Amino acid sequence: MDLYKFKYTFKNRLNFIFGLVIFIFIILLIKLFYLQIIKFENYSALAKSNSLKIVPIPPIRGQIVDVNGEVLAENKLVYTLEINPKDRPNLNKIKQTLANIVEITKYDLKKYNKNLSERSYSSTLPIKSNLTDTQVAKFVANQYKYPDIYLKQKFARSYPKGKSGAHFIGYLNRINQKDIQRLKKIDRFESYMGLDHIGKTGIEYFYEDRLHGQPGYKTIEVDVHNQVIRTIKTIAPKHGEDITLNIDYKIQQVAEKSFGKYKGAMVALNPNNGAVLAYVSQPSFDSNLFINGIDETNWRRLNDSVHKPLINRVVSGLYPPGSTLKPFVALAALENNIRRPPFSITDKGFYNMPNQSKTFRDWKKGGHGEVDLIKAIAVSCDTFFYGLGVELGIPKLNIVLKRFGFGEKTNIDMPNEKRGLIASDKWKKAKYKKKWYQGETAITAIGQGYTQTTPIQLAIATAKLINRNNNLRPHLLKESNTSDHMKSKVSDSKNINTDTDNLDLIKKGMSLVTKEGGTAAFISKNSSYNISAKTGTAQVFSLKKDEIYDESKLPDRLKDHALFIAFAPSENPQLVIAIVVENGGHGGSTAGPIAKKVFDAYLNGIN
Amino acid sequence: MNKLNFNNIFKNIDKILMALILSLIIIGLITLASASQQNITLVSNQIINILIGMVLLILLSRIDPKRFLFYAPYLYIASLILLAFVAFFGFESHGAKRWINILFFNFQPSEMVKITIPLMLAWLYHRLQNNINYKTHVIAFIILTIPCVIILTQPDLGTAILICLAGCVIIFLSGLSLRIMMVSGFGFLLALPYFWSTLHLYQQNRILSLLDPGRDPLGAGYHSIQSMIAIGSGGFLGKGWSYGGQTQLNFLPETSTDFIFSVYGEEFGFLGVIGIFIIYFFILYRCIDMAQKMQNTFSRLATASLVFTLFISSFVNIAMVAGLLPIVGAPLPFISYGGTSMVVSLTMIGIIMSLHSHKSLIAN
Repeated sequence: MDLYKFKYTFKNRLNFIFGLVIFIFIILLIKLFYLQIIKFENYSALAKSNSLKIVPIPPIRGQIVDVNGEVLAENKLVYTLEINPKDRPNLNKIKQTLANIVEITKYDLKKYNKNLSERSYSSTLPIKSNLTDTQVAKFVANQYKYPDIYLKQKFARSYPKGKSGAHFIGYLNRINQKDIQRLKKIDRFESYMGLDHIGKTGIEYFYEDRLHGQPGYKTIEVDVHNQVIRTIKTIAPKHGEDITLNIDYKIQQVAEKSFGKYKGAMVALNPNNGAVLAYVSQPSFDSNLFINGIDETNWRRLNDSVHKPLINRVVSGLYPPGSTLKPFVALAALENNIRRPPFSITDKGFYNMPNQSKTFRDWKKGGHGEVDLIKAIAVSCDTFFYGLGVELGIPKLNIVLKRFGFGEKTNIDMPNEKRGLIASDKWKKAKYKKKWYQGETAITAIGQGYTQTTPIQLAIATAKLINRNNNLRPHLLKESNTSDHMKSKVSDSKNINTDTDNLDLIKKGMSLVTKEGGTAAFISKNSSYNISAKTGTAQVFSLKKDEIYDESKLPDRLKDHALFIAFAPSENPQLVIAIVVENGGHGGSTAGPIAKKVFDAYLNGIN
Repeated sequence: MNKLNFNNIFKNIDKILMALILSLIIIGLITLASASQQNITLVSNQIINILIGMVLLILLSRIDPKRFLFYAPYLYIASLILLAFVAFFGFESHGAKRWINILFFNFQPSEMVKITIPLMLAWLYHRLQNNINYKTHVIAFIILTIPCVIILTQPDLGTAILICLAGCVIIFLSGLSLRIMMVSGFGFLLALPYFWSTLHLYQQNRILSLLDPGRDPLGAGYHSIQSMIAIGSGGFLGKGWSYGGQTQLNFLPETSTDFIFSVYGEEFGFLGVIGIFIIYFFILYRCIDMAQKMQNTFSRLATASLVFTLFISSFVNIAMVAGLLPIVGAPLPFISYGGTSMVVSLTMIGIIMSLHSHKSLIAN
């Protein structure tokens, strides 16, 4: 194109654009004319009286039920008295006028004020919740006296099981500023119009999207006195989905009962698919306390307790694995082709570090005598594993531990899951700026030292000894066809790459744990099936040199943690259990019986 | 400083255009004072924004257009680097990554692109003006696409479309054949379903709620309905300054920024709307006239594109508050509260004035 033609085109086309812009101007002007002149009356009326109101209709939250349909979280109809802060209510006067119907306590007022400071959109706020039927009747009879007080009927969350399963069920609490910010960010804020509550922990939090639903709304016309003249349009809400869990509440109850007064955590899962059947974290709390904002006394009691009842120990509790790590350490050795039976050592009760004067003691004075890898697992021989660890070295050990999920989240459908820790010289250098000692390798091999695991990690690692699906993931939600959340994770499953023979040796050792001479021999007495297990004991504090651990002389909180991993029946495992009993002393004696009762309940049925 | 020097400072300023722009700015300040419910801090902040913009405008109007021509590619590359920088180091707000922090203020490089793209494309066609063929258009299209795609991923659909349109105007003005335009327009229509699927959920919601504002009156449709009530209830004469009930009772969101035109419409009525449209018309007429009279390709194309950018921004904003377009979060140039918008708009005018007053300096 030559320059002359270019100039010519430019001029024409610029004029065209000029015309286009004028055209758009005219369209805008027509629209504004339409709004401001033709529809003026209409909009003016809307603006003046604000006569059209849009009232959200909250959805009903889905229930949470166990695998047999036992209700764990439901909605109960409750009555509340509410007032509108925009009326600038005189609280004292309201208190007096309501006195002969219902008492407004100091606590009610405090809660009202707290809500007032947190609220952002709902028009009325409760001044009294959970009215009895008599109170409701009395109020309705005298309603004409209280034009500014509204009786509201709504569904409130209720947890019929109270303390039982509180950690995994979770609870609802009032929506606060932080929630609002989060909801706005994910563009979900509007779907909470007319609602006060949101899931804060557990399943209630994790599956909030499904449980919550979608609010509907109705457009109503009201007069100056705010009385509804007519409903113009109603769009029904989409109620939340009911959620079915893998949890079997009968088993859960057995587990909680067997825990008694002990603190700690237990998780039982199906090794074939990762379904979590029981999930215990003790001590527990009553979820119902949280629903309308927990009061200060109860909050202090729960939050300040040394027993930390609010911590979800199954996923957030970090414990040294103790000897429960040994099967995995042993597997690492076999994979690197060291210490394979018939290799054995003669254990005299201690291990001398090569080229050093340092000595490590076995838990059993005098030692276990002739010990091969299988026996080392069965009797939990420390001496064997000290030497094994030093020979194997941390890097090779960690490769195997990582594969079994140690030091990584299991991605269970629970919030606040901790990662745990598998230590290495690199990690220590970064964290403490100190070098790694060989002695630390030795104690790492028996599960002491820096290693930290959560009970759910121990459970899933144990399950992976049975089910070689590398992507096995524990989950509370019962899988259904709609559950794409689950599918995507499982689809690209890879098998754990290890020799079946190696696994068989480990399982053999674990099956001997409950047999004559094993560390948990007594639990298989009168058992109709075989249990494979591994006991563990994790030190809570370090003994000074020459000090001897004497359980009877120690205060409870300094006693060792008892750990236990197990699966049964040994030949065809149906259930995997991991238990941590805090300050429970030796793993076999306190945690073992709990596991046995749960196995019995699951495998033999509950009488 | 004597009188002569003082006149010298303003010698490159086009007095007619300046007067028109100033009247818009003053209308904006008056509306802002009401919209912010007479918040002195907000108004004085806006005055500072205006002063910064004006100093830039005056400085830029004195710069030799040769320099714009010379620096255009560098500015373009610099803005690409900044965009890339945002993608990696920018901070997020409201789910989009658009800002970087320079010294003490936050800065959106995508705003800078609104200036560098017109300059760059004008530079390209100027350099190749004796031999413009389809290859030139392809290069222009690539130059345009790169920043648009980056901005789209921030995500900032509104700005990406705006910049894309401004670039297309240059390509159109430079004589892209009508046949190709029709084919690519048709292709775009075919690709629409795909683009729809790439949009974020909230963007889809906004577009859907435009088609039916009652669809989601609590959510995306809410702002649109409230804005139309505000404008519509203004009537012919308006409710008067600071008497806009919708505004003053907080029914309207973002009254100082994106919805300032609703405030104007409510308080000054249709008469006020006609008044502001007349000012817009004269600004447009003056700028197009300047572009037609410019002596070289670079100046003409850059001017046309910059003007068009300003006008698309204005249309999008007004159409949005009047319920003709989805709520995309675009400010109204010269009127909305906000430093970036004000400074960028005044910068554009500054460049246009330079190109206009130095018309003979670039050889054609």
